Amino acid sequence: MQRPTVFRIIGSLVAFLLALPALGRGDSQENLSSAIDRLIEARQQAEAVSHTGPIDDYAFARRVTLDLAGRIPTLQELTGFVADTSVDKRRQLVDRLLASPDFAYHLRDSLDILLLARKKTDEPWRKYLLEAARENRSWDRIFREVMLPERELPGDKRPAAFLHARARDLDAMTNDASVLWFGVNIACAKCHDHPLVPDWEQSHYFALASFFQRTFPTRTGLVSEKFDGKLKFTTTEGEEHQAEFMFLSGTSVSEPETALDKDVLKEIGQKIRDAERKEDAPPPPQPEFSPRAELVRLALEPGEHDFFSHNMANRVWARLIGHGLVHPLDQMHSENPPSHPELLETLAQDFAQNGYDLKRLIRTIVLTRTYFRSSRWTDASEPADPELFARGMVRPLYPRQLAMSLRVATRNPNGMPGLSAPDQWMSAREKFEQDSTALAARLPIPSGLFQVGTEEALFFSNSQEFHEDFLDSGNEHLVGHLAELADPEQIVETAFLTVLSRPPSDTEKGAVALHLAQRADQREDALRQLVWALLASPEFRFNH
Amino acid sequence: MKQTHFCGSPDHRISRRGFLGAATGATALAADMTVLDVLSRPALAEDLKRQQKSVILLWLAGGASQFETWDPKPGWPTGGPFAKIPTNVPGTHISELLPEMSRRLHYTAIIRSLNTKIADHGGGYRLMDTGRRDEPGVEFPHLGAIIAQELAQPDSRIPDYVEMYTSTEGRRKGSAGFLSGRFNPMFLTESMIPENIRRLESISQIDHHDRAALRRLLANRFSRDLPSSAVGCHNAAYQRVRGLMASASLFDVEREPAAMRQHYGPTQFGEQCMIARRLVEAGVPFVKVARAWWDSHGQNFETHRELCADLDQVMSALLDDLEQRGMLENTLVISLAEFGRTPKINGSLGRDHFASAWSCTLSGCGIQGGALYGKTDEDGMTVVDGEMGAGDLFATIFTALDIDYEKEYMLGSRPIPIADFGAAPREAILA
Repeated sequence: MQRPTVFRIIGSLVAFLLALPALGRGDSQENLSSAIDRLIEARQQAEAVSHTGPIDDYAFARRVTLDLAGRIPTLQELTGFVADTSVDKRRQLVDRLLASPDFAYHLRDSLDILLLARKKTDEPWRKYLLEAARENRSWDRIFREVMLPERELPGDKRPAAFLHARARDLDAMTNDASVLWFGVNIACAKCHDHPLVPDWEQSHYFALASFFQRTFPTRTGLVSEKFDGKLKFTTTEGEEHQAEFMFLSGTSVSEPETALDKDVLKEIGQKIRDAERKEDAPPPPQPEFSPRAELVRLALEPGEHDFFSHNMANRVWARLIGHGLVHPLDQMHSENPPSHPELLETLAQDFAQNGYDLKRLIRTIVLTRTYFRSSRWTDASEPADPELFARGMVRPLYPRQLAMSLRVATRNPNGMPGLSAPDQWMSAREKFEQDSTALAARLPIPSGLFQVGTEEALFFSNSQEFHEDFLDSGNEHLVGHLAELADPEQIVETAFLTVLSRPPSDTEKGAVALHLAQRADQREDALRQLVWALLASPEFRFNH
Repeated sequence: MKQTHFCGSPDHRISRRGFLGAATGATALAADMTVLDVLSRPALAEDLKRQQKSVILLWLAGGASQFETWDPKPGWPTGGPFAKIPTNVPGTHISELLPEMSRRLHYTAIIRSLNTKIADHGGGYRLMDTGRRDEPGVEFPHLGAIIAQELAQPDSRIPDYVEMYTSTEGRRKGSAGFLSGRFNPMFLTESMIPENIRRLESISQIDHHDRAALRRLLANRFSRDLPSSAVGCHNAAYQRVRGLMASASLFDVEREPAAMRQHYGPTQFGEQCMIARRLVEAGVPFVKVARAWWDSHGQNFETHRELCADLDQVMSALLDDLEQRGMLENTLVISLAEFGRTPKINGSLGRDHFASAWSCTLSGCGIQGGALYGKTDEDGMTVVDGEMGAGDLFATIFTALDIDYEKEYMLGSRPIPIADFGAAPREAILA
């Protein structure tokens, strides 16, 4: 049922060539995607490293659906895509996914993990992010709303959750904001100048902290700022210094002199204390000079030290490709230059110049050849260094990607039209999203050193919950559906396509047929074991 | 930049062929484990015992009072109503609430000079769990995860790190932090048996086995030509499942003779410590047993009369048991909390949180039994000799276990020593 590889490769190349002039909106983006590939491939050539070939349609559908929709494709979506004969069907799939309700859910889940990292499960905050993701709100606006909630969206505590969850801990606010928005981890510089990075001195840490020092949480879940207060710190030489308001770029601002008299300040102080403590206190007064607003302003100033757009370009790249252009992602400094400086610069500039459009950034990256390189390294040589991007990286699924994919994989595929019936799918997706919350909360968030633990393996193997949720033999579930199929070959084919998003190999067909034949007297159990084995395989656990 | 992988899978930098070869070996072992009860094979238990050092951490959740345990000050305004009693170590006295331990101090070093400064529960336990202060953006591994990382066998068929808690208060799950998820603890609270370690009744032994074989077939095909250590570690986790299931019997106190159970006493803490000994005997590197709730802001003396009786019986039974089995020289028993309690006795006859001068003990493996380290002033307000921080305690613990306390883990490009910067072991406590 597959066309020979060579035709598929040519097909996808043709698809790209044809696609170039087709869409007005797409022009500059596809040129950018090609430019990215040229930069990536130029370095591979310079280092005499070969790259892997493109993935086939099945693998492409799985990879891109996981990345853009946060789940595996349904059987109907998958077979529909593979059977599609149009030359630019890959690009069409990308655009279909970008326009789907799933995209907003997945972007929301990604931003939630990035910004709140389960400090708490905050449904109003997640609703705010979903709203923002649905309208493709620009990244700078999200930044302003989350970092300055009291000025951008007064009284709305949803975007305030980022600061509120950290507001009693100045170090957490300072470092998390620096890492997540700017890609710079300066925690090391709190107690001394950074030992390895001359860019980061102790004064930088406190300069950044001084932007947050006046921030306080209110009892009602909002944040606000005090009218005065200066941050002091002691150097390793024992000298006491007063921190200035200085951004990572080195630009500083000075606070205008205020003429508030003592009584007024005292009154303000009382109102602030009330807001901190009392549920029914009126919103506290806001100072004219807001250090946090200054930070936001400086961060969005164009210039050579545009940490804000470089950070997000790098994070989105790493998320989709599996390795940062600057890696690790929080080490953006002169001692750790990008693997492809021009590429990062180009991506970041395009991002900034096009209104910090996340969807555009994501689309640019998934339309590169680099994005759909195979992760298999069949060459006899050592696998190419990840920073050469010569092979697809194997990426563990995020908690919600895995929890959602388990749902999608184990329903009766006949009831899962997916995006071929968008209206019906919208409510199904919402329900799956809710059903996935509990499971997602117990799955690990991938990090650089990610390993699956035995706890997860035991949960898959022996928990009642897993068996009830995913191996039910009722008519609405995959096991029940397989039991209704008579032809053994069709059973194997359906199971593999539904769970692993690919047809089985001949060896696998043989092994599974044998497994089923030996258990003709307990057919349902045998099917349940087959589905379990597919779900518990690494092929299901990773994006590859 | 090279990443360090901690999954403990047989080959850390998994090469395609390397992984498959190692996987086959581990599979063969795992298959045997279905019938293996480690304790029923004395020879194997002997082997494990020799190879493996272990830790049992008795965690006195909420903060035990040093005055009513290891550093009594009777006769001083801060001393409280209890007397001190001599011990089998000449010159060393402990509280009369620990009579059994007073006859066993030759196993134990007392540290009376902890000054850890943080006196709220949250900050205190994070400090004593990780041996260092919090740092934004870094999830430090807990002591148990570090010990498991250092001492666990890569292809181990038993848990690496088990935690047991009193079912009511003070439950907090330990964390492997930035180490591999493999070293997160198996966490027991409601039940005395770990979650998901037993086969569901709805699936037969044979089917459980066969579907794992089917999974392996798929996994092997998938892993071929795929340079990814994360995939290797996924397979390693599944290969440990059957071994872990076979270790379920270790959690069964019914298997202990009645006399032994009586020795430990009928309390939950006693039973959990008996399980801890069974686990350590089978080679588990780290077991934490938490006993709650020592947070005696009111009625400090009644609280300690009750809790110390339990601690005294259980800790002495545990040390005796380990000694009689020849295991004490390879097992380090720690008694520790997040902090001690104030010298000042408050209006409710309670003692509050106090982290400036408090005590803990180390017994067994690598420890100079009978050592008395550090000194507080007459009122117990300050440390006057041998001050130790959490990092120093960790460095001492690592050294007692022959683990290099200056060893570093790489977190991205950043080296993080397993004992905090500037920490040093205290030789006088070490054998």
